[in-house]
Amino acid sequence: MGPLAVDILGKTLKNPVMNASGTLGYGIEIEPLWNIDILGAYVTKGLSEKPHHGNKTPRVWEERCGMINSIGLQNVGVEYFFSHYFPFFEEKKLPIIVNFFGFTEDEYVSCARKIPSHDLIVALEMNLSCPNIKKGGISFGKDAPAVHNIVRAVRDVTSVPLIAKLTPEVKNIVEIARAAHEGGADGLTLINTMPAAIIDTRTRSMPLKGGLSGPVLKPIALRAVYECYREIPIPIIGAGGIMDVEDALEFLMAGARAIEIGTATFVDPFTMPKVIAGLNSWLKENNYAGIPAITGIAHG
Amino acid sequence: MDDMPGIITENSALIPGYHRLTVRLERPLGKVSPGQFVMLKVPDPEVFLRRPFSIYDARDRTVTVMYRVVGKGTDALSRARKKAPVMVLGPLGRGFSIPPAGACLVIAGGIGYAGVRMLLKRLGKRAALFLGITGKTELPLLSDLKGVEVLTATLDGSHGYHGNVVSLLKERFAPHRSQGPTIFACGPKGMIISLKEFLEPDKVPCQVSIEERMACGLGLCFGCIAETKDDTNPFKRVCKEGPVFDLWDLSL
Ligand SMILES: Cc1cc2nc3c(=O)[nH]c(=O)nc-3n(C[C@H](O)[C@H](O)[C@H](O)COP(=O)(O)OP(=O)(O)OC[C@H]3O[C@@H](n4cnc5c(N)ncnc54)[C@H](O)[C@@H]3O)c2cc1C
Ligand SMILES: Cc1cc2nc3c(=O)[nH]c(=O)nc-3n(C[C@H](O)[C@H](O)[C@H](O)COP(=O)(O)O)c2cc1C
Ligand code: FES
Repeated sequence: MGPLAVDILGKTLKNPVMNASGTLGYGIEIEPLWNIDILGAYVTKGLSEKPHHGNKTPRVWEERCGMINSIGLQNVGVEYFFSHYFPFFEEKKLPIIVNFFGFTEDEYVSCARKIPSHDLIVALEMNLSCPNIKKGGISFGKDAPAVHNIVRAVRDVTSVPLIAKLTPEVKNIVEIARAAHEGGADGLTLINTMPAAIIDTRTRSMPLKGGLSGPVLKPIALRAVYECYREIPIPIIGAGGIMDVEDALEFLMAGARAIEIGTATFVDPFTMPKVIAGLNSWLKENNYAGIPAITGIAHG
Repeated sequence: MDDMPGIITENSALIPGYHRLTVRLERPLGKVSPGQFVMLKVPDPEVFLRRPFSIYDARDRTVTVMYRVVGKGTDALSRARKKAPVMVLGPLGRGFSIPPAGACLVIAGGIGYAGVRMLLKRLGKRAALFLGITGKTELPLLSDLKGVEVLTATLDGSHGYHGNVVSLLKERFAPHRSQGPTIFACGPKGMIISLKEFLEPDKVPCQVSIEERMACGLGLCFGCIAETKDDTNPFKRVCKEGPVFDLWDLSL
C-alpha cells in the first residue's frame, strides 16, 4: 500500500477515491477507458431485493452547475448482481461497497440479507433517500426516529459493516447522522442528491423532477461532512460535486476518510484517475506522509 | 474508444441553423462503424454536460459532425471559433450492421441525415436515400454526397415529392420489395413510428437510430433508456445497446 492508503471499517483501501453509486454503471462499462482496479473501492449501483425498471424518460437534464436525474433506481436486483457482475470484481480483487435500497422497511431488510459476507465487501451503503411507500412516499432519511429504526432493522440481520447514506433534505443533518449511528451504522456517506425540478419555457411544462447533483452540491456536502465529523464518532465518506483534486482535498480536510465522485465522470470520464494522481502529487509537494495526515485537518 | 483533445478546424453554417463541425484530434478516433456517435464537450463553461452527435465522417486524425441548432448547447457550439479546443469522446454505441448483400434503403428525416451519412458512404451504389426535408433550402446539406441515388420529399413541395418521406417511400417501395431490402432509418420519432406502421405487415428488416437525452454516453448513468420487447430486461441504454436498434425489438 502506498501513501494514498486509507483504513476504513476494518479494511485498508489503496486510496480514498471511489465512484458514487449509480454513476459508474455496473463497473464494467468504464473498462475501455481505464482499469477500474485503480479505485480504492467500487460502489455498486443501487441494488434492491427485486429488479426495478426505473422511470420513463426524460431521466436526465442539465443545469448550469450540475444536473438533475430521475433514473428511478433501475437495477438488475441484488441476486443477479452477485451472480453476474460480482465475479468481475473478484477477478480483479477490487473491494466493493454495496449500495442498496428498498421502498419499505421489509425490502431493505430482505435485500441486506441477500448480500453475502465476503472479503471484498467493505460495507453495505444504505441509500436512505428512498421514498417510503407505506408513509406516503416521504423518504426514510428525513426523520431521525425513522432513520434510527430502519438502520437498526438492517443492523440486526447483517454482520457486514453498515454505512448510512444521508439525504441533505433535512433540517439538521447532524441529528440524522446521530440517529444512524445510534441505530448501529458504522459509517456515513454524505451526501445524496437534493430534490429539484426543471421548467422548460419552450414547452411551458415541468419535464423532470429528480435529484440535483454536481458542483452546485459541493458546499452543502462540505458543511455536512464538517459538522458530522465534529459530532459523530464514525468514519465519513464525502460526496457531492467533486470535480477535481482540489475539491477532493477540501472533503478530506473537512474530515472525510474517503470520497466518492459521481457527476464529474459524465463531464470528464477520466476525473477519477486524475484525482488519484493529483492526490499523490499534492501529498509529495506538501510533504505529507499520507492521507491520514490531512484527514480533518481543517478542524485545527 | 478514447477521450481526446482536439482543435476546431471548421464550424461553418451550411444553411442557417445547420452547421458542419470538423475537429482535428491529437490521435485518430480509431475504427468507426456507421451510426456510432461522439460526446462533444462544447467549449463554453456555461454548458455543463457533453452533447451527443453522430459521426458524420472520420478520417485519420479528423472527425466531422453535422448539427442543427436547437438549444443552449448547440447554440454555444455554433459560436465556437476555429482553433477553439474541444474534447471528443468516442466512438460510442452500437452502429448499423451492414448486410453482406442486397439492396439498402436509407430513410432520413431532417438532421437525421447526419446519422446515416457515414452509412451511405459505406454502402455507395447499394443504397438509395429517401430524404425528408422541409423545403429545397435544405438541399445544400447534401452537397458533399456523391454516388448515391437520392429521392427527396419536401413538406412545402418546393422540390421532389410533396409530402413526408414515409409517404414517398410508400409510393416507391413496390419495385424494391421483391429484392428483400434492408431499411435503415434516422429521424424524428414521428417518422420512425409511421415507418413502423408501414413496414409492420411484412416486418421488413429495419434498423433505426434513435435519440434520447444523455448525460454520460458510456452506459454509466442509465439516463438514456429506450423500451424494448425483451422480457427480462426491457429498458436498454440508447448510448450502449443503441443508438441503432432493430425496429422490431423496440416498443414504440
Ligand atoms: C446518439 C445521438 C446522436 C445525435 N446526433 C446528432 C447529429 O448528428 N446532429 C444533430 O444536430 N443532433 C444530433 N443529436 C441530437 C443532439 O444531441 C441534441 O440536439 C443536442 O444535444 C441538443 O442540445 P442543446 O443544448 O442545443 O439543446 P437543449 O436546449 O438541451 O434541448 C433542445 C432539444 O434537444 C433535445 N436534447 C437535449 N439534449 C439532448 C441530448 N443529450 N440527446 C438528445 N437530445 C437532446 C431536447 O429533448 C430538446 O428537444 C443526437 C442525439 C443522440 C442521442
Ligand atoms: C445518474 C445518477 C444516479 C444515481 N444513483 C444513485 C443510487 O442508485 N443510489 C444512491 O445512493 N445514490 C445515487 N446517486 C447519487 C450519487 O451517488 C451521489 O450521492 C450524488 O450524485 C452526489 O455526488 P456528485 O455530485 O459527485 O454526483 C445517483 C446520482 C446520479 C447523478
Ligand atoms: S447516457 Fe448515461 S447511460 Fe446512456
